[in-house]
Amino acid sequence: MPTNPKTNRTGSRPTSRRAVARQLPHGLTAQQCREMYHKMVQIRHFEDHAAEAYAQAKVGGFLHLYIGEEAVAVGAIAAAREDDHILGHYRDHGYALARGCDVQACMAELFGRETGICHGRGGSMHLADAKRHFWGGHAIVGSHIPIGAGMAYAMQYLEEPLVVLDFFGDGATGNGIFHEGLNMAALWNLPVVFICENNLYGMGATLAEESPVSDMMIKAEGYTMPAVQCDGMDVLSVYGAVQQAAEHCRSGKGPFFVEALTYRFRGHSMADPELYRDKEEVRRWRELDPIPRFGDFLVQHRISSQQELAQVNEEAEAEMLEAVRFADASPWPDPSTAARGVYANPIDPEAAQEALTLAADPAPAAS
Amino acid sequence: MSEIELVSGPDAPGGELMAGVASVLGAPAAERRRSLRQLPQGLALRLYTAMARLRAFDERAVILQRQGTIGTYPPYYGEEAVQAASVLALDDRDWLFPTYRQNAVATLRGCPPESPLLLWRGNPAGWYDVHRYRTAPICVPVATNYPHAVGAAWGSRLRGESTVALAFGGDGSTSPGDFHEACNLAAVVVAPVIFLVTNNQWAISTPVQQQTKVTRLADKATAYGIPGVRVDSFDVFACYEAVAAAAARGRAGLGPTLIEAVGYRLGPHGTADEPSLYRDPERARLWAGMEPLGRAGAAMVDAGLTTLEALEEIRESAVAEMLLAGDQLEAVPVPELEEIADRVHLSTPWTLSPDHLREPSYPRAG
Repeated sequence: MPTNPKTNRTGSRPTSRRAVARQLPHGLTAQQCREMYHKMVQIRHFEDHAAEAYAQAKVGGFLHLYIGEEAVAVGAIAAAREDDHILGHYRDHGYALARGCDVQACMAELFGRETGICHGRGGSMHLADAKRHFWGGHAIVGSHIPIGAGMAYAMQYLEEPLVVLDFFGDGATGNGIFHEGLNMAALWNLPVVFICENNLYGMGATLAEESPVSDMMIKAEGYTMPAVQCDGMDVLSVYGAVQQAAEHCRSGKGPFFVEALTYRFRGHSMADPELYRDKEEVRRWRELDPIPRFGDFLVQHRISSQQELAQVNEEAEAEMLEAVRFADASPWPDPSTAARGVYANPIDPEAAQEALTLAADPAPAAS
Repeated sequence: MSEIELVSGPDAPGGELMAGVASVLGAPAAERRRSLRQLPQGLALRLYTAMARLRAFDERAVILQRQGTIGTYPPYYGEEAVQAASVLALDDRDWLFPTYRQNAVATLRGCPPESPLLLWRGNPAGWYDVHRYRTAPICVPVATNYPHAVGAAWGSRLRGESTVALAFGGDGSTSPGDFHEACNLAAVVVAPVIFLVTNNQWAISTPVQQQTKVTRLADKATAYGIPGVRVDSFDVFACYEAVAAAAARGRAGLGPTLIEAVGYRLGPHGTADEPSLYRDPERARLWAGMEPLGRAGAAMVDAGLTTLEALEEIRESAVAEMLLAGDQLEAVPVPELEEIADRVHLSTPWTLSPDHLREPSYPRAG
């Protein structure tokens, strides 16, 4: 059997089910591994269909695909408690699906339909599901970093044993708000795991153009925050890192910084011609595709058979086709409800109507 | 030189906080004398004179504030070494980006002391010529001057000039995002900039321990892959060496440096502040012996570089200069309303044009 040079994990074939369990890292069970594979496959198929729908002009606004980075969301979220809080950036479909949000509602949200997870008001960049403690994709780079620190402060204040997973990219670390969020989190010992998805590019800016250090974890030193780097193309590596980080936070030792080395196989958004990187680089990273890589691991460890993996893929494909049909058939939101969910205390409808009337028919200028 | 009482406690003189900071005056007597005698001819006296002038300005400004001649004022008693050393260690072509606490640094480059005093009097005549003295207007919002300095330094590099830029700041200024963005960008574009952070342990009434988890602010430099150095903020000679070295790095194309000048805020945050309400006055008394002007003077006399009389003469002449400057203020005409927006916008919007401001309908006080 071959040895994977990156993970240094040999593929020696175990003999019994019990031996399998002994060989799995981080206390994972075979069932948990199968679930992680399933989630990654779901995300991949969801994104493929989102891209297709976008090309058919069924999705408005921007679309940022998570293809290539699936292991980060899946490994991290699997390593946390089901009710730990999650925040992320605009490349957010992966977090929603990894947390188990309804696939049809997520697709319908992209389509801007009333049946969407945010009733069609958020779109691709603003998926959120309060009952699953997924507090959303955030379109403004870095904006959710202090929000995550604030949520962690609430958990500490309320003495709840929950931690916050806050995902952001390498580009976000150049933002002042990153600094303010990490400074406060470190100072107040807040239970937040900062997860930096270092995919080497901030839109079209290379790492060297945006950051003076190539390892994002070095930035944690400015806050005396413990940090660890993991292989973002290996779901087990991410799982182990976030498990360690979440334990650290939950035991009251303050924040933890996790850097996941990953890569997006597609452009920054659907409008990106990718002139800043060469195809050879993309090809090399595609060889590290986290899905077949983890699939090989499952087969080698007799957790799943090739047929079972193929079936997972077929089922995900069917599920996404159904989600697209559901979204297509869903009604549009009623325009008169556009302000719903904007204000905590909704504005007076009469005053709003008056303002609309004025806007439609401005009073003649005083002579 | 007065005896400095060494007490236990990390934030006292001689405590953990000051451990390992670069210091010339803190060295054993023989070494200290040797260092001072090796300084370039006249440098010690020039540094002393600069500090004496800054001190005289500051003391005069506080008196003028108490008399009601100027408005609120941020005293810098105890920070003279950092400021004087920075100006003298740099070339006159290099840019300075002061905050409110370095409001008089331009006077070390020939700006008349009346200018900053008039500024505090709310008179537009207080705007000095920024280009002439290569000193940016003071910034009151904390940390906003860091990105300005990076811009100037980057510009100088792009134009192939050899000038560097220095931005002053305090311990509190390392928390806002501006500090981070400035350090990050400066390191990425290899800008010849010096971030000179005076850690006086107090951001108004917030102690530095409640500001950030890092105990040595210079350690923040690690996150940007730039050097972070620590120096005794009450030691004008050590500060001079640190700034000179950072400037040389910048000019050699090696990029930014973060300098942490470690010390204590000996006075109040501003003329409207009463520190005894939030900190133990005893602690400030422990640090009082580190006061930089007297400390430098005593060491210079000890090393045989000058005499007590000569130093007294320097101080007296500085006091006379600032007394005279203060006396000029009331004679400067009160500005016209139309001047209110002068030097605010590149092209003044019509709402602030003199014609519009003269309209009878324009709301006026009283």
